[in-house]
Amino acid sequence: MSEKGEVDLTGAKQNTGVWLVKVPKYLSQQWAKASGRGEVGKLRIGKNQGKAEVSFTLNEDLTMIDSLGDKPSGVRAPRDHPFTMQTVGGQTLAVFTETQSEPSKDKIALEGVVVQRAECRPAASDNYMKLKRLQIEELSKPLRLSQQLEKAVTTNYKPVANHYNNLEYERKKKEEGKRARADKQQVLDMLFSAFEKHQYYNIKDLVDITKQPVSYLKEILRDIGIYNIKGTHKNTWELKPEYRHYQGEEEAKEADD
Amino acid sequence: MTSLGGSSSSSTEYTVRVPKNNSKKYSIMAFNSGDKVNCSTWTQARMERDMSNRRMYGGEETEEGAAGSEFGKKQREEARRKKFGIVTREFKVEDQPWILKINGKAGKRFKGQKKGGVTENASYYIFTQCPDGAFEAFPVNGWYNFVPQAKHRTLTAEEAEEEWGRRNKVVNHFSIMLQRRLREQERGPDDEDEEGEKGGKKKKKKKGARGGDLRIHDLEDDLELSSDESDSSREEGDNKPKKKESVAKGKGKKKKKKRGSDSEANEDSDDGDYEGLEVDYMSDESSSEEEAGEEKAKSNKEDGPKGIDEASDTEDESEEEKQNEEEGKEEEEEEEGKKTPVQMEKKKKRDSSGESDTSEDSDIDGEAASALFMKKRTPPKRGGGRGSGGSSRTGSRPGTPSIDSASTSNTLRAAASKLEQGKRQVLGGSSDSPAAKRLKMEPGSTATTTQSPAPSGKSTPQPPSGKSTPSSSDVQLTEEAVRRYLIRKPMTTKDLLKKFQTKRTGLSSEQTVNVLAQILKRLNPERKNVNDKMHFYLTE
Repeated sequence: MSEKGEVDLTGAKQNTGVWLVKVPKYLSQQWAKASGRGEVGKLRIGKNQGKAEVSFTLNEDLTMIDSLGDKPSGVRAPRDHPFTMQTVGGQTLAVFTETQSEPSKDKIALEGVVVQRAECRPAASDNYMKLKRLQIEELSKPLRLSQQLEKAVTTNYKPVANHYNNLEYERKKKEEGKRARADKQQVLDMLFSAFEKHQYYNIKDLVDITKQPVSYLKEILRDIGIYNIKGTHKNTWELKPEYRHYQGEEEAKEADD
Repeated sequence: MTSLGGSSSSSTEYTVRVPKNNSKKYSIMAFNSGDKVNCSTWTQARMERDMSNRRMYGGEETEEGAAGSEFGKKQREEARRKKFGIVTREFKVEDQPWILKINGKAGKRFKGQKKGGVTENASYYIFTQCPDGAFEAFPVNGWYNFVPQAKHRTLTAEEAEEEWGRRNKVVNHFSIMLQRRLREQERGPDDEDEEGEKGGKKKKKKKGARGGDLRIHDLEDDLELSSDESDSSREEGDNKPKKKESVAKGKGKKKKKKRGSDSEANEDSDDGDYEGLEVDYMSDESSSEEEAGEEKAKSNKEDGPKGIDEASDTEDESEEEKQNEEEGKEEEEEEEGKKTPVQMEKKKKRDSSGESDTSEDSDIDGEAASALFMKKRTPPKRGGGRGSGGSSRTGSRPGTPSIDSASTSNTLRAAASKLEQGKRQVLGGSSDSPAAKRLKMEPGSTATTTQSPAPSGKSTPQPPSGKSTPSSSDVQLTEEAVRRYLIRKPMTTKDLLKKFQTKRTGLSSEQTVNVLAQILKRLNPERKNVNDKMHFYLTE
């Protein structure tokens, strides 16, 4: 599709300016919980004696923090977040989006250029300290925990006369029975069709496929095939050259039977 | 929007929204400040993922079908890998780099690699202002650092290492790429274009409007590369001797690559021009010649024999070299301080091998004397005079080359005196008998023009009865010398021997003894016993 890869440059042409804001993790988590239209708070931009002051205030209903575990933490997220403004520097930062409206139709569009960088910092408050403490506690817990058990675990392996798995196995074997020698012609047909799919076969796999006893199968194989001892395909059987006519091979030999 | 008035501050409040359902995924495209990228100038852009790493992650298995495949091979391979603990990382499309092409095929190309760790501890949001004044914040999914991709030809790793090893010797770095290109030209089909291209146009940077075949296709990493590399490494072996000695004032030329697409097909990764070469001359002709001359000078600066070897390597090569030689020759005359290349040139033509690089050597052909010169570079004080000596050398010189006598002539001293002797003989006419088995044991003695021919049968030549002018710093074991010593003070034989050290006279100790004995017999000095030792002395 020629559409793929084509970048929509409208944003770049308009020179849309955007802000790149670094936001703490807990705040983004709270924002993810926003409902409705997604309103999360208010941004206040003021000019105080020539300097721009930007501050973000989180909505009240979003300040509840869920901690890990069931109990509510009682910690609330701070509400005030002043922004620290930074310049972009020499770097050119552009913003592009990938839209996947329909399957396998990626639309790439250039949204704009970053004109201002900012960092969202929480205002230092009691709330924030508590929140941080909670976070640290959670992080400091080791991933693995050693626990002492009171009673030994006895549910795994009980001594029995014969284990369940073994019973199953024996039953299966009995039901299958010994492999019977089928007609040689049939076996040959099976073999040829198998060799049509793959060139090299292990003897075990062939036994599986044909369900013949090993010695009988080997006899037949000795007729029509060769046994590779060395090389990349070790210990595998393959058809004799005159019997095979693979696509890749030059000569096309008929399978003569 | 409410606006609050404050004393000295005024602020406006905006609502911030974080839209929930977003099919759009936002990412950052970061460019380096040095690249001076201005997005608004882009007329057209294409961007797609760079899938060249896919084969590393399991795409390697070729689905050949029946032939050559084994039953259950895949499972077996997987089981093997698990057993060994090999964990192959998955090929995630979202993590692959981007390839961004600006303004079509001829424009710039960028490769954007994903920067890791961006979303781990903090999230980035893009705040856009909506028409209604509210801000909308979108989370940033990924950060890609875009770097421009070089279209010009670069050195491979092996070549770069080789050049690094020569960085102390190479002054003209501009020629490095030129040499490389020439090497490839010899390898590839020789197009007329390539030859004509040597009269290159210079430019600082490759123009955008080139044939599209000069691109480095990352997306098409194929076998050509490997074969090319093996080619280049092979070629390097051939051309390693081609040293790039300093050529005056960086005459770097930039050549506009105008290869035919045939040659392109061979090496599609080696495109591009030289990097940042500066333009010195604006005329095509001279530049090409000079350049050819330069490189010829460079290659000529190499040992003479090497040059000949290379010339006989391939006809292409030799032909090119010859052609360059012609050009180079003219150029070399012009260039100042290029004496050595000129001499190399001359030497090359003369087909003398193994000559050292002094101009005097050019006069001497492969006689035994040349072997002499091999041993010592500049014969002492025999600067220009040898020219004549050499030419009129034929019969007056002792016929047997000095080298034959293995006995003593291997010392530098002997060699020097031999030369002198040769000269002397020329000047003084031929008085010695070439037929005599005049082994050069007594170079000093034979240096005399008035020598009496020594008795031929003897292996040790007799000291001349006549006076001999001793050569400069030699001490000749002559009767005169002995007489002088004995007059001055009585000496034992040991002392006398000490005086005539074998190193300085060029005789072996045995011969010294013999000769001294004869001298003493002739002189018949008086004997005196001092301290129980027999001293000789003479009274005049």
